[in-house]
Amino acid sequence: MSTNADSTRTDPVVEPAVAQAADPERAAGTGRRNTVVTRFWAQRQSRLGVALTALVVLVAFLGPLLLPWATGYTQTEFADRPFQGSGVFGTDDLGRDVLSRFLAGGVSLLLYSVLATALGMFLGLLFGMVSAYVGGALDSVIMRANDVLLAIPQLVFALLAITVLGPQPWVLVTVIAITHAPRIARVARSAALGVINEDYIRAAEMYAMPRARILFREILPNITGPLAVEAGLRLTYSIGSIASLSFLGLGMQPPAADWGLMINENRIALAVQPWGVMLPVLAIAILTIGTNLIADAIARASATANIGDA
Amino acid sequence: MNPPENPGRCMAGERPPLPAPAMWTASRRAVLGGALGLGLAALLSACGETPAASPQVDVQGPPVEGGALRVGFVGGGASDTLDGAVATNLGDIARAINMYDTLMHFDHDYVLRPMLATSAVPNDDATVWTVELRDDAKFCDGRPVRPEDVIASYMRIIDPEDPKSGAASLSHLDEIAKVGPHTLEFRLSVPDAALDGNFGGYSNIIVPEDFDPANPIGSGPFMLESFTAAQSTVLVRNPHYWGDEGPYLDEVSLLNFNDTDALINALLSNQVDAIAQIPPALVEVIGADERINILDSVTGMYLPFTMRVDRAPFDDVRVRQAFRLAVDRPGMVEQVLSGRGTVGNDMFAVFSEGYPDELPQREQDLEEARRLLAEAGHPDGIDVELVTAPIQSGVVEAAQVFAEQAAEAGIRITINRMDLTAYWTDYLSYDFSQTFWYTRDFLGQSNAGMMPDAPFNETHWDDEEYIELVGRIRSETDEVRRGELIGQAQQILYDRGGLIIWGFANQIDAYQSYVGGLQEDRSGIPLSGFQLHRVWIGDVG
Repeated sequence: MSTNADSTRTDPVVEPAVAQAADPERAAGTGRRNTVVTRFWAQRQSRLGVALTALVVLVAFLGPLLLPWATGYTQTEFADRPFQGSGVFGTDDLGRDVLSRFLAGGVSLLLYSVLATALGMFLGLLFGMVSAYVGGALDSVIMRANDVLLAIPQLVFALLAITVLGPQPWVLVTVIAITHAPRIARVARSAALGVINEDYIRAAEMYAMPRARILFREILPNITGPLAVEAGLRLTYSIGSIASLSFLGLGMQPPAADWGLMINENRIALAVQPWGVMLPVLAIAILTIGTNLIADAIARASATANIGDA
Repeated sequence: MNPPENPGRCMAGERPPLPAPAMWTASRRAVLGGALGLGLAALLSACGETPAASPQVDVQGPPVEGGALRVGFVGGGASDTLDGAVATNLGDIARAINMYDTLMHFDHDYVLRPMLATSAVPNDDATVWTVELRDDAKFCDGRPVRPEDVIASYMRIIDPEDPKSGAASLSHLDEIAKVGPHTLEFRLSVPDAALDGNFGGYSNIIVPEDFDPANPIGSGPFMLESFTAAQSTVLVRNPHYWGDEGPYLDEVSLLNFNDTDALINALLSNQVDAIAQIPPALVEVIGADERINILDSVTGMYLPFTMRVDRAPFDDVRVRQAFRLAVDRPGMVEQVLSGRGTVGNDMFAVFSEGYPDELPQREQDLEEARRLLAEAGHPDGIDVELVTAPIQSGVVEAAQVFAEQAAEAGIRITINRMDLTAYWTDYLSYDFSQTFWYTRDFLGQSNAGMMPDAPFNETHWDDEEYIELVGRIRSETDEVRRGELIGQAQQILYDRGGLIIWGFANQIDAYQSYVGGLQEDRSGIPLSGFQLHRVWIGDVG
């Protein structure tokens, strides 16, 4: 995996010298635990990632609670004529307050992205682990079906499904999850393959432990490293995909406030009133950079506690 | 702080190399950071841009001959046609108006004027119309326009095998007879005192008897040079044009664009000379560029909400009136049209004779709306679905503004935004939806959309009193009396109609300051009703 190769190159970050410089208390610390979490947090980029992600998440979840008293307007109320400079960030294509729309527009994107990633992870894990553990013909069937799904471009598949089923939130979440599942299944399968021949799996089998229990209690906890990285990456892609679909008019529907939709609605006035586009663009950019940094940091942190470590 | 004495000396080799942190060798972070920086830089540069100055051009004097005009508009596709009789999109309409002529035409004030006909007069009961043709009109191949060509043209339009756009409002045309060297009689099965309005419809084009759309011959000011569907059309001056005015241009290019951004950018970067239909919200910023002029025309074009009067809940007139009272009309004009429009009073054909100006302007009255809804059996408000689609700029926006305004009257609207294909598939079946109409006279609009047999009866309007009045209007040849009858019919729409006509949108176009001859036009058709024979290119001084 490229992330592993990448992490071996940049591992000096977690060297004690750097950690000491960042936190003098640790210089004297003895017997400090060396876990994935500590290695993750010791990286500067992970803290930056967490800070960036937290910033956007806070805006998205607290934003709707601040309306209308913080800005004077609800998300659909009219403040002025379209694309005027009134208020902090001006008005949008219908004369609604851009800041109010921005504050109200993040929850849906975040929520659907997380749900789509979670569902995709569940599906991918299930198929990946079963494929690795059972093997044989079932493995071939699952992985070839996977290849077929992988051959279809993600956005094209989503566009097709939403055009047929309509732009409902559940369709959005399910479609993105289904497009993620094959990619996650491949990672889960290859990670699980490294675990299934370990002695403790043999032991569990000898105790006649049910297969579902072996999958979720014995295999799953030992492949969390690569899966956490994968989850972070998939979350980033989910954010991008859902924002893209909203931009194309197939995600959230007007008059709902939504970052992707805002970009589409206000793009004709980019030169006149850029905030209607720039605020959601910046938020989405910061969010994806944040989640990406976190995923990257997890990859480095878990590099030494990887597959097979009990 | 030590500002560099000479920025030119600030070269890489003169500075001690900074100890690069180990982190920065990780490429992903550097790339992401760089991308963010670039984005911000683009934002800042976008904010600071100023239009370049341009040479002054004199377009006040007499028209100048020669030159080429490039006109851009959004729309068009593989179905683009050279046959003006089936014109639908903007490109089709521009080609129809400039390559062909009609018997009559609407001038810039939406008044009917002679064109290929010198007069069109009905008999006493308006069942026979006598049309006198010009004797000097010629097609672009030099042949004269004969009465036989007019007969063939109208027979082609109403051909039952392949009816053209104008056929629906000519269903009562029995026959056309040549009664003199330049005289024709249009004989009707039912009276129609407003048939001449049909003569002025841009799609009722006059073509030679042997017309072939693949080799289009018309008598308009321009003729075809080349045509590529969905891309461009090049027209050149018709050497046999019969009109007194123009054409001044040697060549006209009609260019299709995919979206408004590209269209506006093409104008600002001088790749086109004039563009049709710009979003009203961008007028100020585009007009602020001194090279660009804005053509802002008051029109009778409207984007109404349509309530199906034959189905619940809109079969109850109290519900319809409550919805009409829930609209803040000046607010709609402000938010949807950026103030560039006029307030409507639930009646169409504002420029038509007999429009009842004296009826009080309907205004937002939330209390009365709630009371009417309660009376109609909706004391807790009402839930309705509003079907919308981007069929015309401003339509989806109007739906959102209305939903917000009506909520205060207890009208809870769920917007169902469809894509265009899905919308047109079930068009005419929606209980509550939207549509758009260009400027039309009263009878033209009624025939097209307000009669039980009309092809676009979106509200399923079938009012006996109204139908009876329209019948009388059709056969009334006295203009004053007809105006009175139209006023009565309009009042029926005002009192119990199914349309919420909240306003009339201005037609807004933009063009380079060196283009002359464009003037305001009420038709709702862009760029002076696409009458490009009056347009000319000024001398750049």
